[in-house]
Amino acid sequence: MAWHKPTSLAQAMQSLRLTSTLTKPSTQASRTTLNTLRTRTYATEAEPVPAAAAPEINFGAFSQKPARIIPSSPSYFSGSPRFIDHVLALEALQAKHASLPIVATSEAPRMAWFKLPQFRDYVGEPVPMKKYKSLVKILQRLNRIQPDMVPAEVRDTLATFLRPGNPYAVENVPRTVDENGRARGKGKRKESTAVVQLVEGEGEVLVNGKSIVEAFKRVHDRESALWALRCTQRLDKYNAWIRVQGGGVTGQAEAITLALGRALLLHEPGLKPVLRKAGAITVDARRVERKKPGHVKARKMPTWVKR
Amino acid sequence: MASSWCWNCLSRLRPTPRALLPPSATPRISSAPFHSTAVHYAQPAKKKGNSLTVVKHRQSTSLRRKKKKVADRGGRPPAVGERKALRKRIVLSNPNALEIEGMLELSPETMVDSRLRGTVLGLPVPMIDQLRAVQAFKPKQGWSIFRRPGTVLRRDTIEMGRLFEQISGEGDEAQKGKVVKKIVTGMKGSGKTVHLLQAMAMGFLKKWAVVTIPDARDLVSGDTAYAAIEGSNPVQYVQPSATSALLTRTVEANRELLASLKVSQKHPALKMLKPSSTLEDLAKLGFSDPAVSWHVFQALWTELTATAPAAGLEKDFKPRPPMLVAVDGLAHWMTESAYRSAEYKPIHAHDLAFVHHFLSLLKEGDSLKNGGLLLYATSFSNNPNPTALRIALDRLAARQAGISASSPEYPQLPAYSDADPRVLELLQPAEKAASPLELQTLGGLTRDEARGFMEYFARSGLLREIINDQWVSEKWSLSGGGIIGELEKFGRRVRATASVSK
Repeated sequence: MAWHKPTSLAQAMQSLRLTSTLTKPSTQASRTTLNTLRTRTYATEAEPVPAAAAPEINFGAFSQKPARIIPSSPSYFSGSPRFIDHVLALEALQAKHASLPIVATSEAPRMAWFKLPQFRDYVGEPVPMKKYKSLVKILQRLNRIQPDMVPAEVRDTLATFLRPGNPYAVENVPRTVDENGRARGKGKRKESTAVVQLVEGEGEVLVNGKSIVEAFKRVHDRESALWALRCTQRLDKYNAWIRVQGGGVTGQAEAITLALGRALLLHEPGLKPVLRKAGAITVDARRVERKKPGHVKARKMPTWVKR
Repeated sequence: MASSWCWNCLSRLRPTPRALLPPSATPRISSAPFHSTAVHYAQPAKKKGNSLTVVKHRQSTSLRRKKKKVADRGGRPPAVGERKALRKRIVLSNPNALEIEGMLELSPETMVDSRLRGTVLGLPVPMIDQLRAVQAFKPKQGWSIFRRPGTVLRRDTIEMGRLFEQISGEGDEAQKGKVVKKIVTGMKGSGKTVHLLQAMAMGFLKKWAVVTIPDARDLVSGDTAYAAIEGSNPVQYVQPSATSALLTRTVEANRELLASLKVSQKHPALKMLKPSSTLEDLAKLGFSDPAVSWHVFQALWTELTATAPAAGLEKDFKPRPPMLVAVDGLAHWMTESAYRSAEYKPIHAHDLAFVHHFLSLLKEGDSLKNGGLLLYATSFSNNPNPTALRIALDRLAARQAGISASSPEYPQLPAYSDADPRVLELLQPAEKAASPLELQTLGGLTRDEARGFMEYFARSGLLREIINDQWVSEKWSLSGGGIIGELEKFGRRVRATASVSK
């Protein structure tokens, strides 16, 4: 199917444009001129009588009923007609606006195109990955058109390929200290989650409404919980009000470390390199490895028994 | 089976005809163009020994490891009571610790001096025997790491010192004969027991009569003998040997005071008592014969709380001094004891006459006629934690904070609670009382006090750090706001030479 190719289409368009510029606006006349161009006359021949033109075809009402129903899309028999229609439409659009100025990829607005499964849902056809990528390439090319010159039709077309709820439209609001002077930080470690409210103060710490001594019996746990304040020598400058739940004692202490480090960063962003070096804001994402069937634990195998 | 193809060079190893294989185990080395080994020359796998293949019937097939023989250490096990003596041993001095120059002693002047707040005051050496006698020191309080025992003068201590002055009738606002009743609580390690020790030391300094129960649990744990008092309703029980021990303690600690006071009341139960005998002689009657120790104790108590002599005994009557009663581990007295009645029902601690005597001092009215201080401390290291006591203490705290009993914030019993009504009734905060029951909650030290305390460690040579405000406030936060027991851990902890925080 040669006419599927964009090049042939473009050629056809090109020739159409050429003829339209060459000839007069009337189609009737143009047809005659075409005829005159094609047929050469000899001087000896008599002037032919101009034949009467056939009446215009009314496509709305055929005089004869077609033998079969004609599909609306020419790519109906291609196996994935809707996808091909989209590609063709986009290619046409791209060709149409090829002359518009473009910007660098990095400056183009960030768009969240459909993921492949979503696109498959959207068109209802099993589109292969590779073909979808080529479609996305066209989308990206159209997206690079200089933003203030994007035609409305391009903008509308591109919008139909966006995931609902454009994730890049949501801007991250940087956290700050609230109007009461509280900085809030969250941290996780193992199974524990900690939320720290940090205010300027005298170095008092409450963990789940209890004193830190009651919450953490071991000195080591206390030190690691308050490590962010300790390594920056800020222990006597802030009060911390901490909620921590889940997990064991060590996990809770280290969850507090992270939460406290993050909360402290809101008060004093300049401490980031110190805290990073001290390991107070480094996330330890390790979790307990799951147990596998056939194993006694995550990795341990049962003891070998002769029989 | 090994493949006969060499996977490195894809050449086929020479197949060796089976018939040519040597019968012996030593492989014959034949010339080979590329590979020197034939496949079939590989040694046949050795047959395993018979022992493993034999299935053991009629015995356990599970894994059996040889048990390690416990090495016989030789010698005898320690003698009866030796281990306990070692466990309960109290060491009050360490010659390896540095002696602190210019260390002040606890004295009637220093104990109320607010300029000395935060310093560690040594306990006077002659008093240490008295304090030992009343068992003021406990085994795991860390006395053994210092040259001599000393306690930090904190805000609560100075306040208590002023109280002692007032009740003794000295100072600016003297209130001679006043009775102050306090229940001392606080977090674990907040210094409740040492607070009692300081009170005892002050009592000895002020020449008060000091009566202590060093561990309330001893009276209810069912370890000492008990007997029902005949004719009492509801049945009460005496504990003769415990009473005898208390008399011993009291006499040993207050010997000087008791020897100076003469008997001034009539004691019909004690026929052997002479009118001219001293209170020491009176108390000594109870040592030898535990059977009369309860009567002796009652007699001693009436003597100590006497305000005026009985008729005919006016001679040599001296006014009695105020009294200090210190009890540690109050919670044990707020549940049922380990004793059983004749019907094998558990006996409530309040039914023990001895316990009841000390608890009734908390009730409304001037229980100590000559004034004095009642200090009843709770404990966290050995705490039965009865619900009723918890709620009663909450209520006391609420009353002290000014919440009236009809207010919705006033602590209420939870629904279906099994809280002991006797305890709640005993500790019920009185509405208008001359000497109301107070709740004293010991918190942490302030930063300045903590600094003084840590400097004491440094000057004793235990702590090798530069003690500045920053270091102290760091430790102050890590110890939960200056909880003294936690600060002590930082002081005595051996640290690596390279400090992590630098």
